[in-house]
Amino acid sequence: MSRITTKNLSLQVKITFIYILANILIFIVNIILFFGINEMTNKMNMVYTENLKLNHLAESLTDVQNNMNEYLNTKTSDSLENYYRSEQYYTILIEDLTVNVSNRSFDRMERNIKYMSEEYLDIVNQAIEAKRGRNVEKYRVYNENATILYEYIQTNIYSLNNEQFISNTENYIEISNSFRLLETVSLFVLFIVILGNVLMIILLVGTLIRPLKELSKKADEVANGNFDIEPLEIIAEDEIGVVTKAFNQMIISIREYIEQLRLSMEKERNLKEKELLMETHLKDAQLKYLQAQIDPHFLFNTLNAGVQLAMMEGADKTSEYVRHLAEFFRYNIKKRPDVVTLKEELELIDNYIYILNVRFSGEIHFIKEIDSSLIDIKIPSMILQPIMENCIQHGIRSMKGNGEIVLSVFKENDNVCISIKDNGIGMDESVISNILKGDYVGEKEHSNGVGMDNVIKRIQLFTESNEAIAITSEGEGKGTTVNIFLHI
Amino acid sequence: MKRKKYFHLYIVIITILLLILSIGIFLLQYYLYSVQEMREETSYNNYYVLIANNNTSSFWKSIYEGALEAGEENGTWVELFGENLPKKYTRNELMKMAIYSNVDGIIVEADESQELTELIDEATELGIPVVTIYSDNTKSERCSFVGIGSYNMGREYGKQVVKIIKEKKLENNEESTIMQPTKVAVLLNAYAKDSGQNILYSAIQEIIDMEENMSVDLSFITVDDTNAFSVEETIRDIFMTSELPDIVICLNEVNTNCIYQAVIDFNKVGEVAILGYYDSEAIVKAIERNVIYATLSVDANQLGKYSVEALDEFHVLGNTSQYFTTDIQIIDKDNVKDHVRGEEYE
Repeated sequence: MSRITTKNLSLQVKITFIYILANILIFIVNIILFFGINEMTNKMNMVYTENLKLNHLAESLTDVQNNMNEYLNTKTSDSLENYYRSEQYYTILIEDLTVNVSNRSFDRMERNIKYMSEEYLDIVNQAIEAKRGRNVEKYRVYNENATILYEYIQTNIYSLNNEQFISNTENYIEISNSFRLLETVSLFVLFIVILGNVLMIILLVGTLIRPLKELSKKADEVANGNFDIEPLEIIAEDEIGVVTKAFNQMIISIREYIEQLRLSMEKERNLKEKELLMETHLKDAQLKYLQAQIDPHFLFNTLNAGVQLAMMEGADKTSEYVRHLAEFFRYNIKKRPDVVTLKEELELIDNYIYILNVRFSGEIHFIKEIDSSLIDIKIPSMILQPIMENCIQHGIRSMKGNGEIVLSVFKENDNVCISIKDNGIGMDESVISNILKGDYVGEKEHSNGVGMDNVIKRIQLFTESNEAIAITSEGEGKGTTVNIFLHI
Repeated sequence: MKRKKYFHLYIVIITILLLILSIGIFLLQYYLYSVQEMREETSYNNYYVLIANNNTSSFWKSIYEGALEAGEENGTWVELFGENLPKKYTRNELMKMAIYSNVDGIIVEADESQELTELIDEATELGIPVVTIYSDNTKSERCSFVGIGSYNMGREYGKQVVKIIKEKKLENNEESTIMQPTKVAVLLNAYAKDSGQNILYSAIQEIIDMEENMSVDLSFITVDDTNAFSVEETIRDIFMTSELPDIVICLNEVNTNCIYQAVIDFNKVGEVAILGYYDSEAIVKAIERNVIYATLSVDANQLGKYSVEALDEFHVLGNTSQYFTTDIQIIDKDNVKDHVRGEEYE
């Protein structure tokens, strides 16, 4: 219960509480000491009061005796009055005496004095009465008795007084010693209590201030740029607690904000990079083709003239060959968008193969296994022809016997796979990985212009995946397969 | 959370520490306070006083101790009256004081004086029971007498006298034929006119008469005990005279001590046989040294005890037995060893 309450207290209340607690403790100890010392002092003062009382009693008794004698001597009304007054007073005084019988001789003597005094007053009264009644014989006897008794009482009072004085003196020394002891102990206790108090204040204030210290340490860290810190523990719901909470929230918010900023920046950067690369590669490809073009319109028109000349001469095969050649160049010369359909690319391949077969008198067997439903998918332009060219240039041309290229398009899971497989010389793993990384340096003089590295980059950019193109070879002389995976 | 706990712990520990300190101070004060009150007092229901002529002798101290002990058992305080007073009062004055002080009972060493009889009667009239102790006041209204049976005492002394005479006869056997009466003196206190002494006298005489061939001259020497130092003076006077008794019988402790000292001082050891009274350390030592022939051991404690019991009984029943007697025992050379040892044990 107290935990909840102290937790919710404000710093001011807590500090005030500590201060008040410390003060109250010192106050209590002081009060106790004060009472102790006070009591001692009272006792010291009380020591000799008994003696004073007894002296008083003795004086008062003497008064009674003197007044009685005075009256018996003179019989004046003044002396009678005095007698009555002193007698009254003495009666009051002896009222206070104890009648208790105890093993203390004081008490017993007091008791005896009381009884003897009562007897004495009685006798004195009788003497006075006898005097008033002029009974001379009687008042003499009473007077004698009273005087004897008076003397007894005085002796007893004297003795009691004396004994009490001795005892009180002993007591006084004892009390006085106790007093000294109490003084020393009190001083010591006060010292201990103050020490304890200081210790308590140090501990309590330390406990209060500790979260603040930690907060300042963390704040310092944050100021030095380290946002990656543990959130601070909230110890109490006071002002420091509130500040700590706010600080924690602030750190989290700052961290979130920075993360967001970083993500968006990265996204933008990626986008730009991709765009730029695409553009660069395309430009590169186009440039290469433009370089390779020797006045394409002139070439194209010339080739068309060749077709017609061959037809007029009846050379059908030549006519067909030149037509394909013209088609092939037309595709290359055409101003194309970045992305074309698979069908267009396949037509280009057909023309290319035809030309090559005429050139190399039908050395290449070209087999197409195409899922006709897939021919309308979009692919980057000028992809398949460079691959095919590579197959022929590096795979088939160097080998003996008939080369064979199988082009298959099929669906695999969610991808469309375009596979180009030759039975050429194949290649080893290191060459494959170099090609894929774009590091391969080979003889470029045979190339038609667009390199494999350009093709690979464009496919990767188009698909946004590094796994979009795969080259596999089972080793020397066992051919090479190039697979392109495109998302539908 | 952990720190929170510590926070509470600090407060609790320090508060407890301070509380312990405070309580410590409080207890210390209480202790100091109680040290002063150490002489705690017990209250008593009854208040008896013991009045003796010579209350400083060990005989009377022993009586007082017996009385005090017996009294404390029944909630009674017994006071050796006049002990605290600066002035030395006579027994009769103390009697008066006790009567005026309205005590619950008086135990007094009495004699047969008229004055005392009157005082005892006055006390009894005022409802204060009086027990006479050691010696009686037969004419008074005292409720009881606690003492040693004088007859028994006389017989014991008589036996000792006979024994001494017989021993003497054996010593100087032939001379004894010329019979000279043995002089036996009994020391009596002046004004001690109580009948007890007469009984004592006749008891001694009776024992002597039973023996044949024994002539004894039994006489009294009166010792003046009215003044403070007169006893000693009187006893010395006896030794100044030529006629020394052969056997001296003492009837109280002080007389015994005086005779014993006088015999030594006058170099009469062996000539005078002393029959003492009471078994104080000094007297027992004197028997060991053969200065005192024998002594009568009285159970003084018992005397005190009986007197308190008599007063208690009177308070409860309104009357009590008229006489209480205590045991007596003779101590002489033969059994003195046991006594010394016995005393040591005490």
